[in-house]
Amino acid sequence: MSKYIEKFNNLRTIIKANGGLKGSFLQLYRTDELKIGDFVGEDKYGNKYYQNKYYFVGRSRWVQYVDKVNMDYDGSQIPAEWHRWLHYTTDDPPTKVPPVEREWIEPHTENMSGTPQEYVPYSTTKPKIESWIPPRKS
Amino acid sequence: MLRLWPLSRGLKARHVWSLAARCSSTAVPEKIEVFVDDKRVLVDPGTTVLQACAEAGIEIPRFCYHDRLSVAGNCRMCLVEVERSPKPIASCAMPVMKGMKVKTDSPMTKKAREGVMEFLLMNHPLDCPICDQGGECDLQDQSMAFGSDRSRFTDMTFTGKRAVEDKNVGPLIKTIMTRCIHCTRCIRFASEVAGVDDLGTTGRGGDMQVGTYVEKMFKSELSGNIIDLCPVGALTSKPYAFTARPWETRKTESVDVMDAVGSNIIVSTRTNEVLRILPRLNEEINEEWISDKTRFAYDGLKRQRLTNPFVMDDKGNLVQAKWEEALTVAAKKLVSVPGEQIAAVAGGLVDAEALVCLKDLLNSFNSEGLCTEEIFPMDGAGTDLRSNYLLNTKIMGVEEADLILLVGTNPRYEAPLFNARIRKCWIHNDLEVALVGPKMDLTYEYLHLGDLAEVLQQIANGKHPFSEKLGKAKHPMVVVGSTVLQRPDGGAIHKAVTTIAQNARVKSGCGEDWRVLNVLHRVASQVAALDLGYKAGVEYIRQNKPKVLYLLGADEGAITRDDLPIDCFVIYQGHHGDRGAQMADVIFPGAAYTEKDATYVNTEGRAQLTHVAVTAPVLAREDWKIIRALSEVAGAALPYEKLQEVRDRLADVSPNLTRYGDAEDANYFKQSLELASLVKDNLTSTPIRPPQLNLKDFFMTNSISRASQTMAKCVHAVLESEKKGKLS
Repeated sequence: MSKYIEKFNNLRTIIKANGGLKGSFLQLYRTDELKIGDFVGEDKYGNKYYQNKYYFVGRSRWVQYVDKVNMDYDGSQIPAEWHRWLHYTTDDPPTKVPPVEREWIEPHTENMSGTPQEYVPYSTTKPKIESWIPPRKS
Repeated sequence: MLRLWPLSRGLKARHVWSLAARCSSTAVPEKIEVFVDDKRVLVDPGTTVLQACAEAGIEIPRFCYHDRLSVAGNCRMCLVEVERSPKPIASCAMPVMKGMKVKTDSPMTKKAREGVMEFLLMNHPLDCPICDQGGECDLQDQSMAFGSDRSRFTDMTFTGKRAVEDKNVGPLIKTIMTRCIHCTRCIRFASEVAGVDDLGTTGRGGDMQVGTYVEKMFKSELSGNIIDLCPVGALTSKPYAFTARPWETRKTESVDVMDAVGSNIIVSTRTNEVLRILPRLNEEINEEWISDKTRFAYDGLKRQRLTNPFVMDDKGNLVQAKWEEALTVAAKKLVSVPGEQIAAVAGGLVDAEALVCLKDLLNSFNSEGLCTEEIFPMDGAGTDLRSNYLLNTKIMGVEEADLILLVGTNPRYEAPLFNARIRKCWIHNDLEVALVGPKMDLTYEYLHLGDLAEVLQQIANGKHPFSEKLGKAKHPMVVVGSTVLQRPDGGAIHKAVTTIAQNARVKSGCGEDWRVLNVLHRVASQVAALDLGYKAGVEYIRQNKPKVLYLLGADEGAITRDDLPIDCFVIYQGHHGDRGAQMADVIFPGAAYTEKDATYVNTEGRAQLTHVAVTAPVLAREDWKIIRALSEVAGAALPYEKLQEVRDRLADVSPNLTRYGDAEDANYFKQSLELASLVKDNLTSTPIRPPQLNLKDFFMTNSISRASQTMAKCVHAVLESEKKGKLS
């Protein structure tokens, strides 16, 4: 019996940590998951990173995207330094060991595909058929 | 079908042949009986062992032997064992003898082939992976089939392999002489078919080299054929070098439109691009040769193309437009003027389908101003009788002829394959040739009768000594170039020539079946256009200043802006941005001959089909479809929607246009002569001069070849070599 009480208590804490019934509902709607964990840090976009070793490796670190993006969250919105922590490349989050600043590192941008700023490749080969260009008079 | 196997086996060619031979062996005693692998074959005396084996269905490997060239017998690949002969014999050079027993599969034959192959490969580089002939190489194929399965060649470090310096023979043929196996096919082709004795050998044995003795261009209009003839990769195509392997390409059978002969071709394509053009066998037209323009002008199909409709804007510039816009602008103009002020000019590369569509469209507007760019005299019978403007004897007819009178034509450059046929018969059939026109190199000897039109008059009247000779000929031919009929006195010349032909026909007693009069056209569309009732020449347009002019591929500049009123609206439809497109107000991009299913009629009157090898570029469309679309926008929709319906319409107008492969006979010479007698004899004294006199005039004659860089290089190379020739 006590097992079930413990489960229920866990659920209550998780719901509470996720901002009550409404907050939990929104969280479930957005991520299909309700979790509880320790806050590790926040990146320049406002994404929050959590860790809970209770969960198995692979599920034990996660990101809570900034509310602003709502449903349009995307893996490419995570900056490189947090990406490596999130994917277990390192155990030290950038809050603890900040990344080395280098001149040639470009600022992180998210994937722009599907937006007006998307990258469109162009062909550099000569066209197979050369068109006639009419002479211009003026 | 499997159940019928005894039947199908019994019906195989060689069984039928042997059966027929058995039945007729007593009736035809002159046939010689030989045994090929114990199989009885009856052949004519004088055939070679190789041909007898071919009759028996056994192909002997060969390198130097070629059907259309003389026998050289120097490659030794065709060695076979003959019973009671101590050594194997070269079957290509050995005539059959009675009761000969040939063994094509005996150990001795096999050993001989392996030995020959070993010697050939010893002196041949192992560069098949980088060789352009790879995949279509006789040496590759035959070494797989008849060669030894292992190499004994170990001399790499000592003397190494034979190496020969490459020769420069012009911009069309790439030579890698190390690969040469000395079959001498190219040399024999040059001296026998092309009639240019430029190629030959120097040195002996292992030091033998094939080349031009001194570095010079192989100046022939048929030079490309030695690429096909070369059994190895010693002679390959320069423009095609390193582009594709034969197994990667898609082959489409088609017809050439560079001249009026209508050579049969195969268009090799890959990824929607024409990679090369090869000849296709047609004994009646081009045998297995094609001219250099046919073979190498294909790169002109990729340059200067019209890929978008254009409409003239307010400033007088042509700007790209959508099809709807271009069609609407043109249709509005067509509807706004009275029918008699609409005219059309058809150029030299137009197909019969587009011609009939355009004619129906303009006729539906009550316009009769349909002209061709090429002039043909309309006096007398004019173009009403087909026999007046066809090559009536056909190209095959040259084989039977014994005397040809060429009038004002240079068949060498106007119709290279017709000229090759004349040369072939001049060599083998004792054909005699006479020429009225300037002296020029036709690759065979001819009787020069002068270059004045009066000569024709004299021959016609019987006052010239040649007319007697013409009367004695059994199968005379008179071939008139289309250009000589384009002079102001063309009508009179046509009359004179008709008279000569009719006189020769009566005197020679060759009968009604032999036609004497022949007209050799220069452009592929002319016969179809005249069959459909186009007016020959643009004189009509010059006189009846039109308000709307439809140029259908007219690029030769027969009509310029100066001939037209200032407010004349010019519609150009075609595939290249050339002279026609430059003077247009609206441009419709059409398809070139490799891009459409179309009918072309050659100078014999033989209708042939081209097929779609590649799709028309970008927004260009098939020509008849454009005219059909325009007719609908203009509110006078033509009554056909499918290609087959257009062809049905063609057949209604002139049934010969859809009898593909056949040349319909035309036979109204007497009537034509009667009508011609009405023409005035106003011959001028200007000498007769065909426009193409030198090789440099041959390469660029239409919008495709003018856009071709390869053709430009050829012209340049010919000019350079002429300059060099003058200096030395």
